[in-house]
Amino acid sequence: MTWLSKIRKVPFWSWFWFLLGVLYFVLPLYADFEFSLKMERGRLSFKAYEMAFQDPEFLRTFSYSIMLAILTILVSIALVVPTAYWIRLKLPQARRIVEFITLMPFVVPAIILVFGLIRIYSSPLEIPFTSIILIQPLTNFKIGTNILIIGGYTVLGLPYMYRSVDTGMRTVDVRTLTEAAQSMGANWGTIIVKIILPNVRTALLSGALLTFAIVVGEVVLASFLGIPAFGPYLFLLGQHRAYEPTALAFTAFLLTWAAMGIIQLVTGGQGQAAGAH
Amino acid sequence: MVTTTLPAQKEKAPPSTWKNWIGVIPFFIFALLFLFLPSIRLFVGSFTDAGGNFTFANILELFSQRVIMDAFKISIQLSALTAVVGGIFGFLLAYSVTVGGLPKPMRSGLITFSGVASNFAGVPLAFAFTATLGRTGIITAVLKNVFNMNIYDQGFNLYSFIGLSLTYMYFQFPLMVLIMAPALDGLKKEWKEAAQNLGASNAQYWLKVALPVLLPSILGSMILLFGNAFGAYATAYALTGGALPIVTILIGAQIRGDVLHNPGLGFAMAMGMVFIMAVSLGGYSWLQSRTERWLK
Amino acid sequence: MAYLELNNISKVFGKTTAVEDFNLQVEKGELVSFLGPSGCGKTTTLRMVAGFEIPTGGQITIDRNDVTNKSPNQRDVGMIFQSYALFPNLTVAGNVGFGLKIAKKPAEEIKKRVAEMLDLIHMPEYGNRYPYQLSGGQQQRVALARALALSPDVLLLDEPLSALDAKIRVSLRAEIRSIQQELGITAIYVTHDQEEALSISDRIVVMYNGHIEQIGSPFQVYNFPETAFVASFIGTLNAFNADIIDPKTNSIQVGNVQLITEESLQDRKVGDKLMIAIRPERLNFSSEQKKANLINCQIENITFLGSIVRIEVKTGETHFFMDTFNNPFLELPKIGETVEITCSRQAVIILNH
Repeated sequence: MTWLSKIRKVPFWSWFWFLLGVLYFVLPLYADFEFSLKMERGRLSFKAYEMAFQDPEFLRTFSYSIMLAILTILVSIALVVPTAYWIRLKLPQARRIVEFITLMPFVVPAIILVFGLIRIYSSPLEIPFTSIILIQPLTNFKIGTNILIIGGYTVLGLPYMYRSVDTGMRTVDVRTLTEAAQSMGANWGTIIVKIILPNVRTALLSGALLTFAIVVGEVVLASFLGIPAFGPYLFLLGQHRAYEPTALAFTAFLLTWAAMGIIQLVTGGQGQAAGAH
Repeated sequence: MVTTTLPAQKEKAPPSTWKNWIGVIPFFIFALLFLFLPSIRLFVGSFTDAGGNFTFANILELFSQRVIMDAFKISIQLSALTAVVGGIFGFLLAYSVTVGGLPKPMRSGLITFSGVASNFAGVPLAFAFTATLGRTGIITAVLKNVFNMNIYDQGFNLYSFIGLSLTYMYFQFPLMVLIMAPALDGLKKEWKEAAQNLGASNAQYWLKVALPVLLPSILGSMILLFGNAFGAYATAYALTGGALPIVTILIGAQIRGDVLHNPGLGFAMAMGMVFIMAVSLGGYSWLQSRTERWLK
Repeated sequence: MAYLELNNISKVFGKTTAVEDFNLQVEKGELVSFLGPSGCGKTTTLRMVAGFEIPTGGQITIDRNDVTNKSPNQRDVGMIFQSYALFPNLTVAGNVGFGLKIAKKPAEEIKKRVAEMLDLIHMPEYGNRYPYQLSGGQQQRVALARALALSPDVLLLDEPLSALDAKIRVSLRAEIRSIQQELGITAIYVTHDQEEALSISDRIVVMYNGHIEQIGSPFQVYNFPETAFVASFIGTLNAFNADIIDPKTNSIQVGNVQLITEESLQDRKVGDKLMIAIRPERLNFSSEQKKANLINCQIENITFLGSIVRIEVKTGETHFFMDTFNNPFLELPKIGETVEITCSRQAVIILNH
């Protein structure tokens, strides 16, 4: 069937809702883009983008966020991959508990999480009923706060990272791969580095990109913990400037689209929903 | 002497000795430090009064304080509205690219874009909508110049309940699309043919077979959308600056400066929110399992 | 006029011709099978009778009504799908009564009819179960009851047993056949399994590449195949290329063996090429019984298949199979031995006419 005859077979309402959806998607982005080009009176230019990217604060906070993102990704991988692998191999009984834990971030969203983190780590952490101090108040130290936020970000990204890695391991059947490798005499180091990691590369990439998107855009944890990240910077910018924020917002959109596009490409399937709300 | 041995039996899951749990300990410690302890702190705090003693007073006060009840009311209304409207719109959109028969490229385009849009919440989204429907926004301008309609004079305000709802929709209906597209794929072509063969019209098929089969999925997704909206903070704060007193904004204010003048009450409010989120997650999970049973 | 008629039916999809030149008359109460490999057009033809495809050319009439262009929900045909297609949200009773509910029959009547149908398929206690609680065989029986509840003019079955285990397949096909005969309902049965078609059909339509190869009773189609395809598709077959030695005595040469056929070769010439076939079960050891054709050969292989023993033999460069009934007291020859086997003149079937 030719393309044209295929189109004619599609009912009117399908087109209607689809185009309405496209409109709703595109309009705010277009409005944002158009507005961001209007910095110079009377002509369209990329001045807003120039100004935004040249702001030293932008560079400082953006690179800080990127660093946090990378650290979070590393911590997540180091945490999730061995755990998922261990469960598949040795401890299927723990699966339910772990999956339950990975659902918790939905029940405890960012604002609640940061509430709890601050309250608990702004005073020394003691063993209950004793005066033995385990951890000094983290919020008093800069490194402490950074530990908190990376921990918090890891929690926020946990559901996606875990699900992605777990699905990846299931698809390649790590159990059988491990047994095959063991029967050929490989030791644990070789198995993990040469057999397991390469096979879950796609899943790791997918999870990493999602984590990246979450961290760079994150506002709640960053602002309440007083971290000089990109999110709070963007918010503050919106209070004082008109055009640069829209330019950065559009750039953020393009970056998110790039990340999602890559994920779509490597996983070749359903989109993934996360949320920095 | 010749002995014969049986081949070794393939082991099932190894017996659960404590040694097997070593590998998951780092994960549990992490969860303890960054998830459970903070949550427990909030939980315990909500039952503690100023003197450090156990009390139910905080929980009870949740219901007597005007500010708090109003906050929950608005949050629930906002979440329910965007969940239902976003859910319906998202469903129709997912329908159009699956059963509705639009060409394949449009489907993958929609899915990708839905993935992007559902992640695009927060500060950038607020800016984009300001540029669209704000006082100097593009739609506001078009309506004023072309249709002679000044929506702000008519009472519309982006930085209000309705404005926030419209903004929330931007990440709500894509989430619905992402969940419903695979569910709609699960509708077997043979069901429609069997229904037709038994004399049913298209409408009758949808009413008696397709929608009932999809209902748990649709409801479950809407519940998920509800929770999604309920827990949102950044978009609301960036757009309204805290003017609209939803629960998350109120909790934010409480974190910064104990506006309720009662830390225990603040914790209780947080717990109230966690309770609502837990109920919605539970509802979603239960309905998901119902769906899976049918679409086996 | 026959009860169900397909006249000159053809179906073209874009550049591919799925079905062509399809002509069939089905009498009331007959069960006719469409038999052929995947892609032969049998399911497409069935779907045209059901109304899910509209023929590109030709006419379909049921009980003298032209239904060619009628939509599926306006025809009085019942369809059984390979995947059962039971509605998962309805109980067994809900499924079986679905068509009646659409037809707005009164509740009492529906209840009665559903009970009748459940009795017919021997599942009277299952009314309140849901499809996911049933086995594959049970689901297909419910699908049958659902289709029959409306007393359709024609019953259409699209490979109904392909998704089931071998044992269930055998018992269920017998049940389908007996219900069909009991109700006297006209039925079309699509399958790629020739044993299925042979065991339950009144007539078989063998299809290949969108065309009808042969229509006939199971006996006819098996014993008197009219084309090479039919002969090779149904049952096992030994097929050979042969040259005519002497048309007057009906003798032909296959490899280094001379055979005599029953069919007359009078109007052919010496040296003409032929294709012939011999069914394995028509060959015997000549020690049991000597017939017109005698062949000296060597035993290559012996396979024990249960009730049948399949012996592979070789003469010169020609290999063929011989089937003989299992007999615990018969001593079979050893591999490598030379034996003489025999077959009658009628056993040599000529394939290209």
